[in-house]
Amino acid sequence: MTTAQTDEVVKEPPAAATPSDERERERMRRRLARKRGGGWWPYVFLAPWFVGLFGLTIYPMLDSLYLSFTKFDLLTSPEWIGGDNYDRMFTDDPVFWDSVHATLLYVVVSVPLKLALALGVAILLNRPLRGIGLYRAAFYLPSLLGGAVAVAIVWRQVFGGDGLFNDVLGWFGITGQDWISSPDTALYTLVLLAVWQFGTPMVIFLAGLKQLPKDVYEAAAIDGASPVTRFFKITLPLLTPIVFFNVVLQIIDAFKTFTPAFVVSNGTGGPLNSTMLYSLYLYKKGFTDLQMGYASALAWVLFLVIAGFTAVNFVASRYWVHYDD
Amino acid sequence: MGHHISRRTLFRTASGLAVAGALGSALTACGGGTGAGSTNDKLTMTWWGSDERHAAYKKVLAAFQKKNSSIEIEERYSGYDGYFDKFNTNVAGGSAPDLLQMDTALVAQYARKGVLAPLDSYVGKSLDLTGFSKTLLAAGTVDGKLYGVPSGIGVNQLTINRSGLEKLGVAYPDPEWTWADLKKVSVEIHKKSGGKLYGTDDVGGGTLQAFEIFAREKGQQLFSTDGKKLGFTSDTLQEWWEYWADMRKAGACPPPAITSAAHNDLTKNAIVIGKALFTFDTGVYGAGGSITDATLDFLPTPRGDWSGAREGNYVNGGVLLSATKASKRVADSVKIVSFLAQDPTAIKDMQLLRGIPPTEKARDLIKAGLNDTDKRNLAMADYISNRVAKATDVLEAPQPPPQGADQIWDLLFQSNLSIAFGKTTVKSQLGKFFDQAAGILSA
Repeated sequence: MTTAQTDEVVKEPPAAATPSDERERERMRRRLARKRGGGWWPYVFLAPWFVGLFGLTIYPMLDSLYLSFTKFDLLTSPEWIGGDNYDRMFTDDPVFWDSVHATLLYVVVSVPLKLALALGVAILLNRPLRGIGLYRAAFYLPSLLGGAVAVAIVWRQVFGGDGLFNDVLGWFGITGQDWISSPDTALYTLVLLAVWQFGTPMVIFLAGLKQLPKDVYEAAAIDGASPVTRFFKITLPLLTPIVFFNVVLQIIDAFKTFTPAFVVSNGTGGPLNSTMLYSLYLYKKGFTDLQMGYASALAWVLFLVIAGFTAVNFVASRYWVHYDD
Repeated sequence: MGHHISRRTLFRTASGLAVAGALGSALTACGGGTGAGSTNDKLTMTWWGSDERHAAYKKVLAAFQKKNSSIEIEERYSGYDGYFDKFNTNVAGGSAPDLLQMDTALVAQYARKGVLAPLDSYVGKSLDLTGFSKTLLAAGTVDGKLYGVPSGIGVNQLTINRSGLEKLGVAYPDPEWTWADLKKVSVEIHKKSGGKLYGTDDVGGGTLQAFEIFAREKGQQLFSTDGKKLGFTSDTLQEWWEYWADMRKAGACPPPAITSAAHNDLTKNAIVIGKALFTFDTGVYGAGGSITDATLDFLPTPRGDWSGAREGNYVNGGVLLSATKASKRVADSVKIVSFLAQDPTAIKDMQLLRGIPPTEKARDLIKAGLNDTDKRNLAMADYISNRVAKATDVLEAPQPPPQGADQIWDLLFQSNLSIAFGKTTVKSQLGKFFDQAAGILSA
């Protein structure tokens, strides 16, 4: 199989050791043994990374955990209130549930669509065409632009009442509505924006497709398997590790979506909280309503939910992800 | 077999790292903590507003610096969106501005949290407030201390597209008009325009510009004196929402999609996009200059048409200027505030860009240089404040709104929108509104 072949290429047979090499190695081993225990040099070199890890990640995380049990308005000192924030979230905050609803809908709709499109385009781009590099770049481009505030603003215009999208519908005699300002459609404009940015998973799929062994396809073609059969029986199973990787990343990403919701809804999460994605609600609570303790609690619930989803994904992956080793 | 890394291990590791990284960033965004103050020796001043207001401030501050060369000012300005989000973050991070433009709606909140510096000890010395009336200063006074100096007189006015009315042949309403008159003229506009135009924007969810005045006409305030409860009854709100539901049904105000689009976005205001001829949003004109090409005129908020209806208008302080408590330059900030309030050239340069000037002297100074729309704006403000001064049945001006007020306003807006979209009924939304409002105010 391929792995065996690669191993043979990568591994060069070591040159036969000479007696002087043996002595040199022995000396090195002793010097290292002496250093072990008192060897603080490695930590000196690692220090910048440790400072970053503790100062910028672990400390703020612990701080936010503490704050999630407090009433903290950013301007005066936090006040310990135990689990009240968590209690309020689940029992006394309808907007929280609106945001959970909007976020779950967004994740469930946008992730499969985006991955399906990414895989489809990756398969099309995995052909020896003239100028294929150009096509790949063109399809990747939205992902470079899509995260930008400017694009979200354009989206606002395109799907507004007198926007481009309705103009196009007008050519077919359809009278559109204001898609951004209707609570039934606003979230789907965000989904569309997310799906349009399929470039990153596409590139990963493409890399995966290029790795697939040619001999299996040749054998299948000789046996008379149709392209559809080949896709479902060979490509997809062999690609499952990549699919899994993309699913995990895209779900996490979708849960954390903030910018498009903020810009498209003009910071309101409206109409009627239909675009109140979780991160946007968290931001509003923390920085607009000055309830930083509550916002921290929201962040921890998000953390646990994403961790939960990811754990379920990893467990479920045993049943559908196919590793060839 | 030696160094072979299986695909399983590779993907597991890669996924694990990606997950760790992605999760970590979700949590660390919300750290708190206060740092040291700004080391910059410039005095920082922030404000929000339109381009015209920015230009006027810059001109006035340049003139100030010419006279006070020892005070260097760093100017930071933006639109209203995000202005206070940024201020909160700056205060928490120890980099609050020394002097800032403050919203009358938020001054009590910040004063009570100890963010703002009391200015009483400067009044009459470096802070010259000659000509400011006591009722006007109340807008910046919290618990008996002065935390913000009002930039001008503010009254609620509707902005009217006068040329649009003339084009349709609709008579210009009398300033003593009532809510019933508003409905009548709005329906007329809708009919005469062949259904293309609505009369007014939908403010069933609007607060200061409309509902507060309606409640005051009923003899009720938005909040109780201690700020812990709502000050109006369920009946008042029900009548209000039903009025606007009728208006929508009659085509007197636009459907919810237009209302929703205009939320926090003046450029989508119904009068600006040419869908209505009246707007309750004072920002359309007051923020400086007209956004539409139409001839604009002004009217007071309609009167109550029931027996015993009271005068609902009141005079507020426009925007305020406040110094922060953490600032080491309060004395210098006060000099700037005083300059803006009293210096004749500063007053002339600012015109109506921070509201109608607070003193008689200042109003006389600017009158000559005003354009026609400004003149009409000033005349209507005079008309309303005279009416308020003469009224015997008027409630006292509202207290600065309590903490959570902005959430209640948002709740009011969302509730009205929800009714307009047909997602709920007036009756069932009333219960939800009062429940949630109580929760917000007691938090």
